Amino acid sequence: MNRSMEAHAFLVKKGFKVKSFGTGEKVKLPGTSADRPNCYEFGIAYDDIYNDLLEKDKSYYTQNGLLHMLDRNRRIKPCPEKFQASNEIFDVVITCEERVYDQVIEWFVSRKTVCNQPVHIINIDIQDNHEEATIGAFLISDMVTKMSQSDDLDNDIDELLHEFESKCHRPILNSIMFY
Amino acid sequence: MSKAQQNANIQAEKQLIQRINEAGMSEGGKRAGLLRKIIEILTHQLSPMIPMYMENVLSFINDKLPETRKIIIAFIEELSTNFPENLPKVISNLQLLVTDPVVAVQKRAIQAASVIYKNVLTWLCSSTNEQEAKLVWEHMNKTKLLILNMIDSENEGIRTHAIKFLEEVVLLQTATNSSSTDFSLNNISKSLTFINQDALEEEAEHIFQLLLKFHNSQHISSVNLMACMTTLIALAKCRPKYLPRVLQALGDLHTTLPPTLSQSQVNSVRKHLRIQLISLVKQTSVNDMIPQLLQLLTDIGMTQQEINKVVPKEKRHKRVLALATASESKSDSPAKRLRLDSPPLSQGSDSNSNSRIDFDDDSSQSSKTSLVSEDTLFDGLNSIDNVINLVLATLVNNLPNEMPNTFLMNYKPIPNSGSKPQIRHLAKMIHAVIKGEPELPVTPAPVPLPVPAPVTKIPLLSEDDEKITLKNAVAKLQETTKDRQVENAVTKLMEETRQEFIKEGERKAKEKEKLVPPQTPTVPKLKQKVKLLKLQEITRPIPKEIKEKIMLQAVARILHADKEAAIGGAAQIRAKFITIFASSYTPDIRELVLNYILEDPLNRIDLGLAWLYEEYAYMQGFNRHPVTLQKISDKHDENYSQLLCALVTQVCERGDPLMENSKEILLRRIYCEAPVVTLEAVDYLKHLVVEEKSILALELLEELCVVRPPRAHKYAPALVFHVLNENQDVRDFALKATVKIFKSGSDAVKKVVEKHALLYLGFIALDNPPSELISSRLNIRVWTDDLYKVCLNLVMALFMENDELIIDVARVYGCAGAEAKRCVLRAIESPLRAVAASAPPGTIPSAFHILLQDCPRGAETLLTRLVHILTDRAPPSPELVSRVRELYATRVSDVRFLIPVLNGLSKREILAALPKLIKLNPNVVKEVFNKLLGLQNPNNEILPVSPEELLVALHLIDPNKADLKFIIKATGLCFAEKQVYTQDVVSAVLQRLAEEQDTPVLMMRSVLQALTLYPNLGPLALNILQLLIDREVWSNKVAWEGWVKCCERLGSQATKVLIALPARALPSVPPNLARLIETTEGSNPFSPPPVSNPIEPLPPGME
Repeated sequence: MNRSMEAHAFLVKKGFKVKSFGTGEKVKLPGTSADRPNCYEFGIAYDDIYNDLLEKDKSYYTQNGLLHMLDRNRRIKPCPEKFQASNEIFDVVITCEERVYDQVIEWFVSRKTVCNQPVHIINIDIQDNHEEATIGAFLISDMVTKMSQSDDLDNDIDELLHEFESKCHRPILNSIMFY
Repeated sequence: MSKAQQNANIQAEKQLIQRINEAGMSEGGKRAGLLRKIIEILTHQLSPMIPMYMENVLSFINDKLPETRKIIIAFIEELSTNFPENLPKVISNLQLLVTDPVVAVQKRAIQAASVIYKNVLTWLCSSTNEQEAKLVWEHMNKTKLLILNMIDSENEGIRTHAIKFLEEVVLLQTATNSSSTDFSLNNISKSLTFINQDALEEEAEHIFQLLLKFHNSQHISSVNLMACMTTLIALAKCRPKYLPRVLQALGDLHTTLPPTLSQSQVNSVRKHLRIQLISLVKQTSVNDMIPQLLQLLTDIGMTQQEINKVVPKEKRHKRVLALATASESKSDSPAKRLRLDSPPLSQGSDSNSNSRIDFDDDSSQSSKTSLVSEDTLFDGLNSIDNVINLVLATLVNNLPNEMPNTFLMNYKPIPNSGSKPQIRHLAKMIHAVIKGEPELPVTPAPVPLPVPAPVTKIPLLSEDDEKITLKNAVAKLQETTKDRQVENAVTKLMEETRQEFIKEGERKAKEKEKLVPPQTPTVPKLKQKVKLLKLQEITRPIPKEIKEKIMLQAVARILHADKEAAIGGAAQIRAKFITIFASSYTPDIRELVLNYILEDPLNRIDLGLAWLYEEYAYMQGFNRHPVTLQKISDKHDENYSQLLCALVTQVCERGDPLMENSKEILLRRIYCEAPVVTLEAVDYLKHLVVEEKSILALELLEELCVVRPPRAHKYAPALVFHVLNENQDVRDFALKATVKIFKSGSDAVKKVVEKHALLYLGFIALDNPPSELISSRLNIRVWTDDLYKVCLNLVMALFMENDELIIDVARVYGCAGAEAKRCVLRAIESPLRAVAASAPPGTIPSAFHILLQDCPRGAETLLTRLVHILTDRAPPSPELVSRVRELYATRVSDVRFLIPVLNGLSKREILAALPKLIKLNPNVVKEVFNKLLGLQNPNNEILPVSPEELLVALHLIDPNKADLKFIIKATGLCFAEKQVYTQDVVSAVLQRLAEEQDTPVLMMRSVLQALTLYPNLGPLALNILQLLIDREVWSNKVAWEGWVKCCERLGSQATKVLIALPARALPSVPPNLARLIETTEGSNPFSPPPVSNPIEPLPPGME
């Protein structure tokens, strides 16, 4: 909701066809204490979450930037979406955390392939805070721009990612799965 | 069909027709958009019309835009799924699209092909028209083969798609035992005569093996690897019979990842492997393989906790059991065999034992030992007893009664049996068997046959399919390019851990190089897209010698492209290149460039100079290379010096007659334009002086000193050295040049030149001439005047510039021998005069001053000479006089020292010195008198002693102090100067002498002389004679003789005095005078006496 949406907003501005998803069971947002996160079902509108948090502790959530983030998100799309529930077919899936990458691959492994269309799964680790999310969005945008410039991504992806990796000094995981 | 719907359909058809027409007219993207809509309408609204309009859509299959062609593919895919009855008409198009020139279209077609293949199979089963079915099947088969070969494509994406397609093919062509609804071999109707199910299954098996090979090939890319892994796991999940081999492959992969992967790719692959394995564990179909799976999970680094988390509880339980069995099996070999045998029994299948026998035969009559690691197996096989036991046991227990056909067909003698590699190989195979062993007993009953398949059926298949499938790349890759040795090496290498890869790779490269050098070029043909380390992988470094040779050739080409470069305007760049090459690469290149320059030095000297500057830049620490690339041993200053010397010597010594004339110009240019002239180069010039080019060399040296002031003091010695040269010309030139640079040079230069001058000066004080003087001369080490002169010439030449050198000269002079002194005096004469003349009149040059103040011992003669010269032209200054006086009093006892300043002394001093002075050499005495009488200075200076006084003083000198004859000579000198000693002066002198108390000894002699000179002095003489009579002159013998002689001279005039003689004196009067007295007394005493000749000759000096 933070990193992916930041990148989503950035990539949309650059004109890419992009969607953002969560992979967990629920939409989880930090609460006032570590053991009490705010959990919502997928499908709930950002508006509702926003209002809910506003009601709960306006100053706290303003201060930690959650409200601002939600405000941004609701301008981009109405509600959080779950990746596993999506029927769309993508060319590239980018994750910002290894755990999510694992989940995505597990999901692909678990489902039956239908049309055999390959999809590149790429993970680039981004810490879950506002600053890193911004930096991450830049990195992802750089990477995606490079990909879009390739005539034959399937053929170039290895090299492209390797180059990118050495440039951004972050470990990259990538894999290929099929729809 | 309702009417409304019919209307709608008509409407839609109209729209469709309109769009088809529009699409025909339009181009590019617009056409693609229209096409999409057409297909939409056709498949959703007007599906019955498909056969009618299908052709219109398919006609765009050759559209220029790839996007359009992709739409066509989607259309075909859609048709195959939903309207398979149209397949016969469209299937041929698929084949066309699979071979499309555009990769993206190709990939889309492959992707569609897997769907279509499944649909084709499904449709075949329901098809009624066998003709059509057969046609479709043939097309499909061709397409399949096309795609099969694409696993060898150069494009990674195509390979990925091909893998996926093959997965689908394998799934479709194998039977399933599960009750899944997916289509499989089971569903294929047996009624289709043209489809051979067994053949299909064989083909599937073959493809599966292909995939395995591909999966474990060394050069697979990470994406392909992961795709292949996914495929294998999917196959293992759906077709459990593949599971053991898949697990084996995954295990192998884990230990030997392709060396070409980067670190993060390795991470990705390992993660992928882990996720895939976990997903596999969760499958129910793999329950029997759980121990192996869990083992693999542990191997890839999962902890027990992690495993517990992902593996369902009941499976873990099985695992514990399995582990127990495994540990039991380790305990001893019979137990193991028991375990092996028992599961098949429980499964109730006979065929298993057969299959195992086949397997064993294949693994070269080996046995099943129960050891776990390959190494322990290897050790066991090294013991002959063990092997015999194993073979016997196998023969007894497992040998079939009849020899199987397959064995006959496949058996080949083992070429290297008993060798170490073979035993190792055997151990590995046994190990593999043991690892995969549980597969044998637990394989589900319906599919026992596929296990021997790898052995028994592949050859058959390969024969069948030679013209089709078996041309596949992986096999080619692994078998055609490598001979057995190399393969051995590679397998061995693959056993090494990935961490050691790079080192290993190099070794391998070497091995390959050694064993099969011609085959290396085939490596690029692998076509696999390999990255990162790829270059290193497929190329090997050019040997150093070849590299250097190539480099040399390249430089040579650049060197000989001077005209081309000039025409192309790249002359400067070329020169730059050459200089860089020459200065920063190997000695060979240096030599090459140097030779090139020397071939035509006149025209290429600019290049040489440019190179010199480049080397100079290096020497000064400017560098073209980063610090890390610089060789520590590089000594650029040496390079510079070497180059300079090489240029100079080569130019000079090349015996090319054409060059003879230009040598001078070249040398001049090199020496004048080089950034720095090193000492070695100067040495060479020195050497040149000795050769025939002496004057040129000297000129160059001089020029160097003049043009390069900061280092002139380093060049100067080379030049100065030659003032000692034996050759007169060289010496003179060197001397002149030295003086010149001394005049114009810096202090440092002056210092150096002076130092040398003094050094050479110092030589004269030595007993024998030093080697510097003698070296090239005759071997006689004896001083000659010439040698002294040579030593002195420099210092004398410098005199004008630095008069202080006189002090050093004096110092050396003091210690030198008499000969040397003489030479010095002679040599120094003119410089001294020059210096004295250049000084303002009446002053003493400061250097002389110092010398006067502190004269070195032994140098007094020099000092005397100096004083002489100083007083030569002008009267001595009071200062000088006082200095000389002082010296005379303290140091120099020689009276001659006083001579130059004589006129500056007081009268008393002069008179005191007079007795000593007159004793000197007559010439000197004459000089002294000249001085005293002012004869040398016609300019009316005031003389301290008047001539009159001088003469008187002479007469009054104590005869004890000076011998009488010196005094006589001195007076003689005086009388000779008639201009000074005129009649008046002489008479005054005589008068004063007469007045003296004691008659001076020489008085009468002087009177006689005066009379001879001036006869008019007769009266004065008579007076004196008269006076002497009063003094009883006769009692003084000497005076009396004089008196008598005087009377005789006076003749008759003397009568008067003679008469006046008292009687007591008369006896002493000589007879002639006595007669005179008598005649006078008798006749006329005043008659003139007869003129007679002088009785005596005149005293000396009175002519």
